[in-house]
Amino acid sequence: MSKRLWAAAAVVVAAVALSASAASAAETVGSCILDEIAAAEFEGIEGDGFTAAKNLKTAYEAKVEGAEELKKDFEKDLEGCLEAPNPIIPEVTEIIWGGAAFIVLLALMKWKLFPVVKNLMEQRTQRIQDAIDDADRQRAEAAEVKANYEAELADAKAEAARIVDEAREQAGAVRADLQARAEADIAEMRERAAADVEASKRQAIADLQSEVSDIALGAAEAVLGRSLEDPEMQRQLVDDYIASVGAGQD
Amino acid sequence: MNVFALDFPPVSQLFNWPDFLFTDTPVALNKTGLIYIAALLLTAGLFWAAGRRRSLVPTGAQTVAEAGIDFVENSIIMQTIGPDGRRYLPFLTTLFFFVFFSNIFEVVPFIQFPANSRMAIPLALALVVWAIYHVVGIRAQGFYHYFKGALFPPGVPKALYILVAPIELLQILLIRPLSLAIRLWANMVAGHLLLVTFAVLSAALWGTLYVPAVLPFAALILLTAFEIFVSALQAFIFTILTAVYIGGSLHPEH
Repeated sequence: MSKRLWAAAAVVVAAVALSASAASAAETVGSCILDEIAAAEFEGIEGDGFTAAKNLKTAYEAKVEGAEELKKDFEKDLEGCLEAPNPIIPEVTEIIWGGAAFIVLLALMKWKLFPVVKNLMEQRTQRIQDAIDDADRQRAEAAEVKANYEAELADAKAEAARIVDEAREQAGAVRADLQARAEADIAEMRERAAADVEASKRQAIADLQSEVSDIALGAAEAVLGRSLEDPEMQRQLVDDYIASVGAGQD
Repeated sequence: MNVFALDFPPVSQLFNWPDFLFTDTPVALNKTGLIYIAALLLTAGLFWAAGRRRSLVPTGAQTVAEAGIDFVENSIIMQTIGPDGRRYLPFLTTLFFFVFFSNIFEVVPFIQFPANSRMAIPLALALVVWAIYHVVGIRAQGFYHYFKGALFPPGVPKALYILVAPIELLQILLIRPLSLAIRLWANMVAGHLLLVTFAVLSAALWGTLYVPAVLPFAALILLTAFEIFVSALQAFIFTILTAVYIGGSLHPEH
């Protein structure tokens, strides 16, 4: 920043320093006329510069021969200071400097300046294009990875579902098996219990029958006042009786 | 050295700058020549600085140079010649910047003179362009076909060729380069005259009436802005017409 400030200050100082000489050297109408008069020299008229001009005027007023002609020519020269040069006619020196500047510039541009900047632009375009291509490729890769991952995830989910189903089926089968086995056990136990009950019942009946026979025999002996001679025959009689009573009851 | 715009010159000398170096020789240098040298240095400096930076995101000179190249390539060449016009890109870019910098000194303080308000370079450049589009046309189509296509444009009733052919001949040989030169020159002359007129008016009124000087001074500010625009516009027009002429020689069918 300070460099720029120094440069700006230098331009201003240079402009101010040059202004005096620029103003004094400016080609004005006045300075042109002054130059013309200072350089004046006339044939047949004495002196040069201002003296010559003054002498010409005196000669003209004295109607000296040829003085009128000289005066007219001099006036024309002076009026030339007021005339503007034809603006459309090009100045050769300007063509030379301007043309040379353009040719030098064109040569410099074609040789080095332009290709460097243009290459820079192309390199940048290429770099950006590469970055875009790279990003596209990476995006495609990421999409592929994602697709793979999703596919794997879907597979895993399906596998998990399959395993759960299988487990559920197995559990069902185990349950059904257990249930069937339990039911069979229960039925067996029930049958066994029923058989036990039946056996107990029969035992009880047999026991009861024997008890009742004894009691009845005792009672009959008491009633008859005598004991039956053959106890085995007596027991047979009672059992038969009871059986007949039992059959009659059934 | 009479270079700085510190005084108002007489009206007759508004565009005439005395030589200050090598006076009375064919290489006498005046303010106009100096501005052309400045245009050379500015353009070369701009591209040199642009090529030196090499940053991915351009700033400063690099932005200006690259925007200029991009503008000439996409808004001028691609619109008028097409992709095969890219080989004229260095020439047209140089032309654009050289004309622009020669013009823009019209509004640069202490210089305030558009070098192209002198006929020298507009005419010289127009002649260069004239030579280029003829050479391009003859190379691309051959001498006979180039001039036949130019003088007898297809689609025109044959009876009209009596009228059209001389006009076309006049156009490609004379009118095109002259109109190219005069357009640039006259625009810069007009701009310079406008700025001088309002500057003189402002100065004159400021010396006597003060308050009314505000109006011409405001106009001067606006015109200065307008002349910046004109400087760029004329550089653009000169370049795009060059491209149009080259394009016409390369592809006569368009």
